[in-house]
Amino acid sequence: MAVQTMVQTIARTLDQEMSADERVVVLGQDVGKRGGVFLATEKLFDKYGPDRVIDTPLSEAAIIGSALGMAVHGLRPVAEVQFSDYVYPGFDQLVSQVAKLRYRSGGQFGAPMVVRMPAGGGVKGGHHHSQSPETHFVHTAGLKVVFPSTPTDVRGLLRTAIHDEDPVVFLEPKRLYRAVKEEVPDDPDFFLPVGKAVVRREGDDVVLVSYGGSMAETLKAADALQEQGVSALVIDLRSLMPWDKGAVLDAVARVGRVVLVSEAPRTVGFMSEVGATIAEEVLDMLLAPPIRVTGFDTPYPYAQDRAYLPGPNRILKAVKRALAY
Amino acid sequence: MIRDSQLFQPFNDEPYSLVGESGEWKGDFELDLDPDTLRRMYHDLVAGRMMDERLGRMQRQGKISFVAPTAGHEGAHVAVAHALEPGRDWLFPYYRDTGLLLAFGLPPVEMMAQALASRKDPSRGRQMPSHNGSKDLNIFTIASPIASHIAPAVGAAISMKVQGSGQVAVTSFGEGATSEGDFHAALNFAGAQGAPIVFVCENNRYAISVEYNKQTGAESVAAKAHAYGMPGVTVDGMDVLAGYYVMREMVERARSGLGPALVEMLVYRFGPHSSADDDSRYRPREEVDAWKRRDPLQRFRRFLEARELWDDGAESELRSEIDAAFAAAAREAEEAGAVPVEWMFDDVFAERPAHLEEQLHELMD
Repeated sequence: MAVQTMVQTIARTLDQEMSADERVVVLGQDVGKRGGVFLATEKLFDKYGPDRVIDTPLSEAAIIGSALGMAVHGLRPVAEVQFSDYVYPGFDQLVSQVAKLRYRSGGQFGAPMVVRMPAGGGVKGGHHHSQSPETHFVHTAGLKVVFPSTPTDVRGLLRTAIHDEDPVVFLEPKRLYRAVKEEVPDDPDFFLPVGKAVVRREGDDVVLVSYGGSMAETLKAADALQEQGVSALVIDLRSLMPWDKGAVLDAVARVGRVVLVSEAPRTVGFMSEVGATIAEEVLDMLLAPPIRVTGFDTPYPYAQDRAYLPGPNRILKAVKRALAY
Repeated sequence: MIRDSQLFQPFNDEPYSLVGESGEWKGDFELDLDPDTLRRMYHDLVAGRMMDERLGRMQRQGKISFVAPTAGHEGAHVAVAHALEPGRDWLFPYYRDTGLLLAFGLPPVEMMAQALASRKDPSRGRQMPSHNGSKDLNIFTIASPIASHIAPAVGAAISMKVQGSGQVAVTSFGEGATSEGDFHAALNFAGAQGAPIVFVCENNRYAISVEYNKQTGAESVAAKAHAYGMPGVTVDGMDVLAGYYVMREMVERARSGLGPALVEMLVYRFGPHSSADDDSRYRPREEVDAWKRRDPLQRFRRFLEARELWDDGAESELRSEIDAAFAAAAREAEEAGAVPVEWMFDDVFAERPAHLEEQLHELMD
């Protein structure tokens, strides 16, 4: 076990995966000598050289498109997009090529590749360094989407993503890159399945569901509720496509009240899907309607970002509504 | 060194041409292809044309929903296929490459089955006609979004370089594709990496209706190669031998580690953009007729006849043979039956996740 931050865990996991399997290559802008702008690929260039740690031109279309060709030709590329806000020049590659290749070829070709991207707000980056684009990817059939929130989950899911036969969009909550250090398992058999949520805290009064960067705020809200004598069951979804419907429905059916927390814009955000599924499948077990606490339907603001992001106060207000319903 | 013996200097003012309109050899080097190879090239030209004609008939009969006509492009198609090693090299084609796919080894029954979306289609009825692919033959499955396959081709070529596999990737596209950002992104990356890839632009002067001079202010597509640090060569794409020799040189160059090249094949689309297009709205008939008189099949046939390698008897025998083979392929593809509805839920992922399982049952139960 090593005590590590999330970003250190990414670099170490990539190192170990590259060492174990020479098909694994890393590509992206500044991933080489610079070690990535967040240092998520630190020291890989010195160890593996320019053929396996490929500094690309400043072109997300080239990064994502070429990663697909590498995957088709037998490599296991892990592409880095410097910020998820910059994925859009490569969005057509993800949507039209990467996501569709297995389907359109009738399963002849697959796309075993990972596209890592730091996502979400809270780093004073303005809208072009802070957005939460997960809905675009979840809405694109053929992509798996994960959005872990702890170093341990990052390790388990990144390893699974690299071994997966399908493309995985790996969203990393950049504001948690260095927020927490924890003991991260070294066990070579440690993998976490894509599509499985985890219960972070047991509780009886209300269910809080979140993922990614908002998990930290959600747990803070659960602490505050505890002090008020309200026990919250907290679920970290970890994966958005596929997502763990069973874990959410079980908890909500048991507790009857649910607050859904995501910093992405509200309309057609991921929590809209979770809320609709709850309403369709366990309506008669509900004591209150599912309530969303989300980012607003504005571009991500610069000066008012603390007000935009769902923090403990907004979550508590929603829980109060749910309890009073 | 290949560079020293380079026959075709890049950024040429006039398109390279080796066979004149009346079939005469104009090259200043010895032709080094044996009669069987030359006849095989002619076979592949005719097969491409006859498949195009048959698919067109099937579309008009209502058997298939769509087709992208390819007549006029066959010279480029056969040139590219013959410069590669099928089974070893990789092809990243686009939707106007019927003759190229056949010459690269795609079985006619697979082409028919793909067009018909029948059970014999290796891609399981997932796309509209003219969108083939074959893992067995290293043919990357065609996608409609223009230029989106060029960066994947570069990635495969980088992988070939990194793995030292000695393979070469070729990707083809129309001149409209050269206006997309992904064309630039891909060629730029290939140039920076020295990747073993040849980019083939089948420049037929019209992107649906938009003419070349509205597409770009560049004097040629090949000229664009200069900025990416690779040779750009313009070829008369209606001259299969010119296309072949240029491609052979560029493929050998890439294979020996000298990096990518861009080859512009000047061709003409005899038919409309697709079965849904009316090209009389934007192309004068006199222009189309003038280009049809430069038919790549006719020119190469005259070349063979001048060398006494071909005659009317051989022609009618060849056409009957291909026609019978294609008819049998069409029958086999059709008799396999339509793909079943439940296949819709396969191949989204390697394994079907729970939500797709639920949706399958929602539909079928």
